[in-house]
Amino acid sequence: MDSKSSDDQDVSLDIPSGQSVRYQAIAQVDIDTDDFTFRITTRSGIEDLLGSIQKTGLIQPPVLIENPAGYTIVCGFRRIAACRKLGWTRLTARILEKTVDRFKAAQLSIADNAFQRSLNLVETSRALKLLDDFAPDQQQRREAAKALGLPINGSLSLAVKKICRLPLPVQEGILTDTINLSMALELGGLEPLTAEGLVRLFDQLKVGLNKQRELLLLLKEIAEREQITLPQLIAEKPLQEVLKTVEMDRAVKRQKVRSYLRQRRFPAISKAETEYRKWVKQLKLGNNIHLIPPKDFEGNTFGMTLRFSNRQDLSDLNKKIEEIIQHPALGKILD
Amino acid sequence: MRISKLFINRQVADHPMTRSIQSRLKLSAKIVQNAQQVYEAVSSAPDPVQQGKETLYLTQNRGAFLKSCPGTRHYTCCDYQILHIGSFCHMDCTYCVLQTYFHPPILQYFVNHEDLMAELDTVLGKATTKIRRIGTGEFTDSLIWELWTDVSRLLIQRFAAQKHAVLELKTKTTAIERLQNLNHNHKTIAAWSLNTDHIIHTQERATASLAARLKAAARCEAWGYPLAFHFDPLILYDGCEADYTRVIERLYSQVSADNIVWISLGTLRFPPSIKTVIQKRFPDSKIIYEEFIKGPDGKMRYFKPLRIKMYRKIVACIRDHAPNAVIYLCMEDDDVWRKSLGFIPDDIGGLPHMLDVSAARHCDLKLGE
Repeated sequence: MDSKSSDDQDVSLDIPSGQSVRYQAIAQVDIDTDDFTFRITTRSGIEDLLGSIQKTGLIQPPVLIENPAGYTIVCGFRRIAACRKLGWTRLTARILEKTVDRFKAAQLSIADNAFQRSLNLVETSRALKLLDDFAPDQQQRREAAKALGLPINGSLSLAVKKICRLPLPVQEGILTDTINLSMALELGGLEPLTAEGLVRLFDQLKVGLNKQRELLLLLKEIAEREQITLPQLIAEKPLQEVLKTVEMDRAVKRQKVRSYLRQRRFPAISKAETEYRKWVKQLKLGNNIHLIPPKDFEGNTFGMTLRFSNRQDLSDLNKKIEEIIQHPALGKILD
Repeated sequence: MRISKLFINRQVADHPMTRSIQSRLKLSAKIVQNAQQVYEAVSSAPDPVQQGKETLYLTQNRGAFLKSCPGTRHYTCCDYQILHIGSFCHMDCTYCVLQTYFHPPILQYFVNHEDLMAELDTVLGKATTKIRRIGTGEFTDSLIWELWTDVSRLLIQRFAAQKHAVLELKTKTTAIERLQNLNHNHKTIAAWSLNTDHIIHTQERATASLAARLKAAARCEAWGYPLAFHFDPLILYDGCEADYTRVIERLYSQVSADNIVWISLGTLRFPPSIKTVIQKRFPDSKIIYEEFIKGPDGKMRYFKPLRIKMYRKIVACIRDHAPNAVIYLCMEDDDVWRKSLGFIPDDIGGLPHMLDVSAARHCDLKLGE
């Protein structure tokens, strides 16, 4: 089997000692595939499993727990889905009795995934939540997390735990590397539709965390000031025109979106910056003179850097500086 | 004001002022060894800032009561001195820096008036030609303590007996009743922070209305007190210029221009840390979403041209009513002064000198040569 996943590998999982386990052929209809209590994997596709199961059968039977109406899946969500897709009406599974310790079942489910590959953040979050839900106490929860390779550091584990409670689009944003944990948690505080819109925006622009933060801050503050919602703001024509222009380079889009939002958030500052650039252009400074305005135009001290290689260069720059001093545009800049 | 918890430092438990305040408050008190116990009680509340406004801690000031106003070298400072009688405030202004200035903020009052008066005796008793402008309204509101203490009376009487310093009582309250019939000898300036009805209504929770503040000012004027007014913070919003113009019109319709020692102007500025507090405690407030930049002193302030535009408008309006009004800018640089007021402090001997001269004229002080 070439494309082994966590769900289909022939691994030897230790069924907890003292638990009654049996192998049994089970009807598909008796398996509750809507109960995701023990689901860790974020993979929903089963194409990779279909071929191998069809060819070699189900090497590693799924693990189920008896419930009053049938069976709850502990391990093997994708295997069961693949078998169903292949038209199998029955499959062999390992059955844990209904009295089985749920905490041990949770560890089994986590181990089934975690020992075969690195869990992504959403899966790690689900695993931590599972331990939280079933561990009898903090000490046992912590020991189990450590044994399973899950984060036990207080603040990190606390942050990761929140992920599986975030709106699905945010979780998907993490899985596609559009956003990181920090941004996910920030978006988690927003309405799901808003968070979804932002993840889509970040994905369209392919911006890194710092730029995401900047855009989010601009958007939030514009929305607050103008008393509109973030989805309303994102849906506005000027932004959508940029975002929907297929032929526009992504870097240009990023620049245009940022520029539009910044002008809207800081109209006076943006106008001053435009004016400043206009006057500086008139000075025709060239490549070897760089004028540095006071930060945010708050102070009164300007800076100037000169690039030269020899006396003649410097002498030329000196003449240029004399011209600049006399130029009316300098007066506008200094004023 | 609603004080729900009273803490008393063990060292002042038997102080007469402590007993007096406690009897007026009619609250049982928890005796504590130090401020940390109070901080812990306040910090554990869901809204520590609100809890701090309802928690009074009576203690003693072991340090100096007189402190220099915390200015910065980047902006022109007025050389004011703060008389530290207590800290924090029960009123709840959105923009109040005291929300993050103390960690955590609690209403704290120093009962050791004997030390306060001794320090004042030392300072005011010095043979000097230097004029001191001293105020109690920086770390707290000057008059919120009137309900339970006689600190204003003590201070007014002490300042009345000298000729080199002026006391400024700065407030947003109307707690002036006990200022009547005091022999102030013009050495106490009754001062109000003014703002537009809109700002008072939306950003200055639990403060007196503008009408009430102006009425109180007029009464103080009738009792002979020189007055001062502080348009600080000036806050930008749609229609603010027209609103501030109306405030100025109302001001001059209620008090005499000649009796105003000074008027300060200062646009909204705040340490960045306040922004989060405002977002959390005042989610409806939009004042932090204007165009701010971080100044060289680390505080957020409006983009300079916006400040200048606002100052010019207000200065022109004040000058229409009172051409000789002494107007100064709080924490601004020469560029803003020149563009807003048409001069810089150095042109007239510096801002402290400008204010000293006005204080001397209105408060019968001896101005040194």
